[in-house]
Amino acid sequence: MTSLVRSPAALARPALSQAAQRRFLVFCGLAALVAALMLANVRIGSVAYPVARLWEALLHPGAADDAGFILWNIRLPRAIAAVLGGAFLATSGLLLQVYFRNPIVGPFILGISSGATVMVSLVMLTTLGLGFAVFSPYLNTIAACLGAYGVTFLVAAIAGRVKNGVTLLIVGLMTGYLCGAVTAILTALAEKERIKGFVLWQLGSFSGFKWVEIEVLVLLGGALLGGIYLMSKPLNAFLLGEDYAASMGVNIRRFRVLILLLASSLAGLVTAMAGPVAFVGLAVPHMARLSFGTSDNRVLIPGACLMGAAVTSLCDLIARMWLSPVELPLSSITAFFGAPVVIALLMKRGMKG
Amino acid sequence: MSGGIVLACEDLCVGYRGAVLSGVGLAVEAGQFVSLLGPNGAGKTTLLRTLSRHLKPVSGRVRVCGRDLQAMRAIDLARVMAVGLTDPARPPLLSVFEFAALGRYPHTGLMGRLAPADVAVVMSALAAVAADHLADRPVDQLSDGERQKAVLARALAQEPKILLLDEPTAHLDLKHRVEVMGILRGLCRSRGLAVLAALHDVDIAAKVSDRVMLVKDGRTVDDGLPEKVLTSAAVAALYGFDAADFSRDLGGIELRGDGSAGRAFVTAGFGSGAAIFRLLAKRGLAIATGVLSEGDLDAYVAQALGAQAFVAPRTGGGDSLSAALAALETCDFLVDAGENGGEANRRILEAALARGLPVLRMGRADDGGQGCASLGDLVAAIDRLRG
Repeated sequence: MTSLVRSPAALARPALSQAAQRRFLVFCGLAALVAALMLANVRIGSVAYPVARLWEALLHPGAADDAGFILWNIRLPRAIAAVLGGAFLATSGLLLQVYFRNPIVGPFILGISSGATVMVSLVMLTTLGLGFAVFSPYLNTIAACLGAYGVTFLVAAIAGRVKNGVTLLIVGLMTGYLCGAVTAILTALAEKERIKGFVLWQLGSFSGFKWVEIEVLVLLGGALLGGIYLMSKPLNAFLLGEDYAASMGVNIRRFRVLILLLASSLAGLVTAMAGPVAFVGLAVPHMARLSFGTSDNRVLIPGACLMGAAVTSLCDLIARMWLSPVELPLSSITAFFGAPVVIALLMKRGMKG
Repeated sequence: MSGGIVLACEDLCVGYRGAVLSGVGLAVEAGQFVSLLGPNGAGKTTLLRTLSRHLKPVSGRVRVCGRDLQAMRAIDLARVMAVGLTDPARPPLLSVFEFAALGRYPHTGLMGRLAPADVAVVMSALAAVAADHLADRPVDQLSDGERQKAVLARALAQEPKILLLDEPTAHLDLKHRVEVMGILRGLCRSRGLAVLAALHDVDIAAKVSDRVMLVKDGRTVDDGLPEKVLTSAAVAALYGFDAADFSRDLGGIELRGDGSAGRAFVTAGFGSGAAIFRLLAKRGLAIATGVLSEGDLDAYVAQALGAQAFVAPRTGGGDSLSAALAALETCDFLVDAGENGGEANRRILEAALARGLPVLRMGRADDGGQGCASLGDLVAAIDRLRG
């Protein structure tokens, strides 16, 4: 009865194909960039190898020369970890930005990474973890995810009461400080030999990844990413706010919990292994939105993954090579990218009123 | 269009913790435009949010297309009901087309891919609200009026049977206000869409609605045909008017003069006085006028403005002329609207001239008084008269 009249003229949508073309080009460009950066990360290092030698080592993983060892045990895991970590953090940030309808949020700035850090510090600095396996990537991961959930749901509960976006930001920062304080106290109380590893981890770095950790990242993270991509449609409805999303048929209660769980799982997963990495989750979704020219999450989720992989790989390369042989903390490099983005966004928002 | 009831509730009680509005009974038929009127805070939005299931009813049940609202699946509800909220949703980097296409949500598959038929529905929804030319514009760069059209287009793309709107004309200028209401009116007629809208403009509501529901002080005050329900007294009571009147016959609000600036007598008729009455009322003058024929537009305007109007009944009889002449005694000056036909008007004019009252006349003043070529001249003359 309410079916609309369909005129043939209404079917023509030439502008869409133009946008699709642009998105395709940006995808290709980003994929090429990620591949190039991975290659650079594998090739460039304190010992430089010609590409041919690395290629040789890549094809013969068992060979017992130093190039093979460095490639397989140091550079390749690190390059892959940077790509995956960047993709996960960016996706986590994208989800949080959609959820809070606030462009200035990300897993780091909302204190989610700090929440994960507290729980990891409990495992790494105290003897709580000893009851379980002595070292397991799963233990850290589970602890980090639990910490991330805790902070995420706390911040989300507070956000339900305060509608102001900047207030939300401050709540996140304060939660981060609180978690930081707990971590600092735990560090002060910890035995000396435990502290070194923890401090290194806390600086944020993709170095020292083991293959078993990469496996966890790929399997768990891949499953999470797949799930998130399947949620693009309700995520798009969420762009209009919860009330509209509900009126269009989204089961809001279930979906809210799901977004938060997925976003904090991804952030927790990366934090567990690489330590807290700042600003990637906040800045990358914006870079993706601007370069793809859309808010459509069906494009943005894969787009932010590629963009996050590229940015994080680049930052890791800079962290390793800028003042080589000294390696800089990864978060300090990502902050150079991210902090100006936050300031620019705040200023834009302030001007709009 | 069948006139089946698509949205109904009985003895519904809505609110957040306690009841804001109780005892609401409603039955909206397909193709009907129903307006909710009432002062701010009367619970119009709360009622709409309950009917759209954003809020649980405090008590009572809502039936949507014959089914219990609370028991419906979200997706089934979305296929029959769409909403337009006051919340200005305007995500960045989203074109109007993409914005409206989100309304296809309950009709598309897992990834929300638009089939050609979906694209056609979206384009036709945009065309229905005269927004097809906006399709490629970013939604966060629209004017208020354009955005309201986008909001309506998104709701229509959902292909609902019921449309719930919270102040669809808020922030709109007159042109867009009229346009949007005209579009909604047309959709009810052409597609059998049922619209329930919370409105602020009584005069627009009176003109587009099939039914109006007045809510105030936590209950339904009245409900029915706007022509019947929206009496001057009902509207004044609803909004607590003091110095204004809603005229059912004229379909608008008139602002009364408080009489602090004196009292004028106007001889008018056949519509010649309406503009002059308003002009005098605005300047704070009390008005007496006569003798008007029954049914004359001037009589309606004068009454809406709270003027003392002397009306000669169509059947003849009565002595409105004597009464008018008596009223003339209390007036400071006379305005002749230039309607020269009536014998009674001529008698009043002569009486005023004889008493030496100042007389301002639209048009020529060959037989006494001061002529005014235009309403502007009249205003100037009145201002001079009152120093």
